Amino acid sequence: MTPGKHSRALPRAANAGRLQRRPEKRWWTTPQLVATMPVSPAGSHKQQSFGLNNATQPNKSISFFATMKGTSMKSYAGANQSRMVVSKAMLIPSELKTVEKTNPNIKTIQVFDINGIDVTPRPLYHPDPLTGTAKPNKLLTSQEGSLGSEFVSSYSLYQNTINPSMLGQFTRSVLGSSTVSKSSVSTSESIAEDLEESSYKRERLTSFTDLRVMRAAPETVITKEDLEKNIEIILTETETLKFFDLPAVMVSVESEEAEKVIQRNKNYEVLCRNRLGNDLYVERMMQTFNGAPKNKEVQCDKIIMEDKGIMSTAWDLYDSYNAMELLSLSVKQSSPESSSKANVLPKDREQGLAGSTTEKSSEASSLMDIENVILAKIHEDEEDFSDVILKSDRFHQDLLFMERVLMGNIFQPKLAAYRQLPVFKEPEPEEPEDFLENAKHEEVEEEPKKEEEEEIEIDAEESTILANLERLWSFSCELTKGLNVSSLAWNKTNPDLLAVGYGNFGFKEQKRGLACCWSIKNPMWPERIYQSPCGVTAVDFSIGSPNLLAVGYHNGTIAIYNVRSNSNVPVLDSSESPQKHLGPVWQLQWIEQDRGTTGDDKREILVSISADGRISKWVIRKGLDCYDLMRLKRTTVASNKKGGEKEKKDEALISRQAPGMCFAFHPKDTNIYLAGTEEGYIHKCSCSYNEQYLDTYRGHKGPVYKVTWNPFCHDVFLSCSADWGVIIWQQENIKPFLSFYPTTSVVYDVAWSPKSSYIFAAANENRVEIWDLHISTLDPLIVNVANPGIKFTTILFAKQTDCLLVGDSDGQVSVYELRNMPTALDSGQTIDIQETIIKSERTE
Amino acid sequence: MIFLVEETLKRIQSHKGVIGTMVVNAEGIPIRTTLDNSTTVQYAGLLHQLTMKARSTVRDIDPQNDLTFLRIRSKKHEIMVAPDKEYLLIVIQNPCE
Repeated sequence: MTPGKHSRALPRAANAGRLQRRPEKRWWTTPQLVATMPVSPAGSHKQQSFGLNNATQPNKSISFFATMKGTSMKSYAGANQSRMVVSKAMLIPSELKTVEKTNPNIKTIQVFDINGIDVTPRPLYHPDPLTGTAKPNKLLTSQEGSLGSEFVSSYSLYQNTINPSMLGQFTRSVLGSSTVSKSSVSTSESIAEDLEESSYKRERLTSFTDLRVMRAAPETVITKEDLEKNIEIILTETETLKFFDLPAVMVSVESEEAEKVIQRNKNYEVLCRNRLGNDLYVERMMQTFNGAPKNKEVQCDKIIMEDKGIMSTAWDLYDSYNAMELLSLSVKQSSPESSSKANVLPKDREQGLAGSTTEKSSEASSLMDIENVILAKIHEDEEDFSDVILKSDRFHQDLLFMERVLMGNIFQPKLAAYRQLPVFKEPEPEEPEDFLENAKHEEVEEEPKKEEEEEIEIDAEESTILANLERLWSFSCELTKGLNVSSLAWNKTNPDLLAVGYGNFGFKEQKRGLACCWSIKNPMWPERIYQSPCGVTAVDFSIGSPNLLAVGYHNGTIAIYNVRSNSNVPVLDSSESPQKHLGPVWQLQWIEQDRGTTGDDKREILVSISADGRISKWVIRKGLDCYDLMRLKRTTVASNKKGGEKEKKDEALISRQAPGMCFAFHPKDTNIYLAGTEEGYIHKCSCSYNEQYLDTYRGHKGPVYKVTWNPFCHDVFLSCSADWGVIIWQQENIKPFLSFYPTTSVVYDVAWSPKSSYIFAAANENRVEIWDLHISTLDPLIVNVANPGIKFTTILFAKQTDCLLVGDSDGQVSVYELRNMPTALDSGQTIDIQETIIKSERTE
Repeated sequence: MIFLVEETLKRIQSHKGVIGTMVVNAEGIPIRTTLDNSTTVQYAGLLHQLTMKARSTVRDIDPQNDLTFLRIRSKKHEIMVAPDKEYLLIVIQNPCE
């Protein structure tokens, strides 16, 4: 084809029609079947060139006119019906300019999409400038291969308009569906008509520029991260698009328009009737042209469908909402960082694993090697990962829970008894338990009979079932083995927490010391362990800050630990204080002094008494500050024995009484306290006077190991000493009220029962005795003998339950349950106990 | 820190009636176990599913709640599971012993 001839196409327009016939015969069997070519602004031009080409190269294959750049190639839309168009000229890009020159009025239409990218459809066929002739097949193939050109060729369009004989030669339609309008118009139609209509077509074609065709985006490499990125898909409601609106043709009879509609209907009926024979109506026929439909097939890639199902649970939604809220808040916290760090590791590991699996699948060869590598990688990841888990706090806590749960299982009957719950029987009861159960049943049956105390007395001697101590369990572990329990203290707020101090009393027997916090929930291992080279002689929990534990040592140091933390270092230490005690601190107690001497509100102070004869008050301000409350001066030993001969020290009972041997603050008046000394004297002192005693009670002949006020009767107190005796005193009376000398062994500890004002417990060297003054003042109610070699050194009642804790010299703190105790009578009546005691005294 | 953990694990294992203790991670791979591997993996897999179901149940009722501990008492023994997002702590005990 001769591109150059385009320019000459115009003048030959007139002849085009005639000239067309020849090629028509060649290429179309029926000229009528020639489809009209879609109009393009250059349509006229095309036709002319077509004619030209036909004239010049009749033997050449069809060459198609490619529209110029940007010219509306959308002319395929079946625009022109009356044309027969076969343009044979092939427009080479280089010719565009020439063409444009010739037809300056031709608009170049470009298509842009929303983003301003030029998406004008490219021509599907780019002719090879060298080859003039191109067979239809070649045309097709070259057309297929053409990409990136800026203009769209109407090549395919024209293809579509070829008559059926030619259609067979073309195996593809390139530009998509197009309706080829086969005009029935003969080719004899003048081109002039076409020319006229071309302008019309032009306009029509411009409307097609609105069509948007997206160019294929360059392929981007999708990375793994992209795949794993969370893509947010936000579903929003779009505005309602109305695709179809069929207004109703029925109107309700009752509506407002009904009348109008009815009237109109009537009018119409009249009109129809009048139509026949009416001059106003003339029949006329018209013929419509039907376009020839053409089928077009398109092939596309297979659409891959994936099914995904998910169950949306309530918590899933809650989590998602919460996560969104957290993100939107965008609070800068360290916890998200740390959690993200923690998450990074598992993520990495997962990615690593995922990567390894893909490796496996992709490479078939050397599979074994890869597998080994992967396994090695997995193990490495695992190790790192497992360490993270093991170190995490949650794991610690879970371990703690687990241990407690196990303990609960193991000690279940004992703990239930402790907490006074019905004991749960295992479905397979063991033999000894069975007997025990039976024994219990018998006891229960006989209990109602024991209402009267006299009967109890008799029964106690006759029947085998009497009030007894039943050993539930004991707190001990290998750390505490061999140590001497020197002090016991309950926590003020957590009734399950027990502090135990281990340390020898005697100076020569000094070993390492230990202060442990035990929990009822885990009798086999202490919750906190505080070790020290020096024996512990006193422990007490604070009232105001129940996490503070004060520990007194044999060397006079007082240390305060915070049990909430896991550290073993004391929070405060008095070892550097200039006023620290020089002798073993035999007792420590936290006192809440209201209207204290300083005039402040209730402030908590730590009071200690030690072998150096000082009763000191420690205040926690910036450190431990010490003030002396009293200096125990006496003619005899009172003070300044560096713990040499002091054998035992007992510690404070938490409940109300100030425990023994060192001192006891009056439960009501915290200004008054008793102090027991090594001489055997008990001094009543006041915080206001630190030089003089208010009173002195003389009765003991040996060091007083414990003094404790009666929790119900505030005038009565109890003391025990190394002279084998236990004495009950009345506050006003400096002579002993009642004294007991049950055995010939040192009484280390006494304690009042929190439930009854008549009951107290005493720990000898080898016995634990429970006395009930209501029953007898001569004999203890219960006597529990220790195993040989073990001395009972401390005693403590449990508050809410009927249990007694006894510490011994082997490092064990045993928990006993008081069974079959006589029902507690009115414990608050002070008169009774005194009367009873007086009565019993008289009977002695 | 790790030492404490090891100590505690040892102690747990030495308690009365404890048959086995295992710590498995979220994928079912055992980190510490006192039983043989096959048993461990079996327990881990089954308990993992059960834990998920239990947690889902708890949270469905109240999304602010979460599962902290799971105990399964059977005729022969008791399985105690402390679940977490990243691991499972499983202890099997025979309390009657």
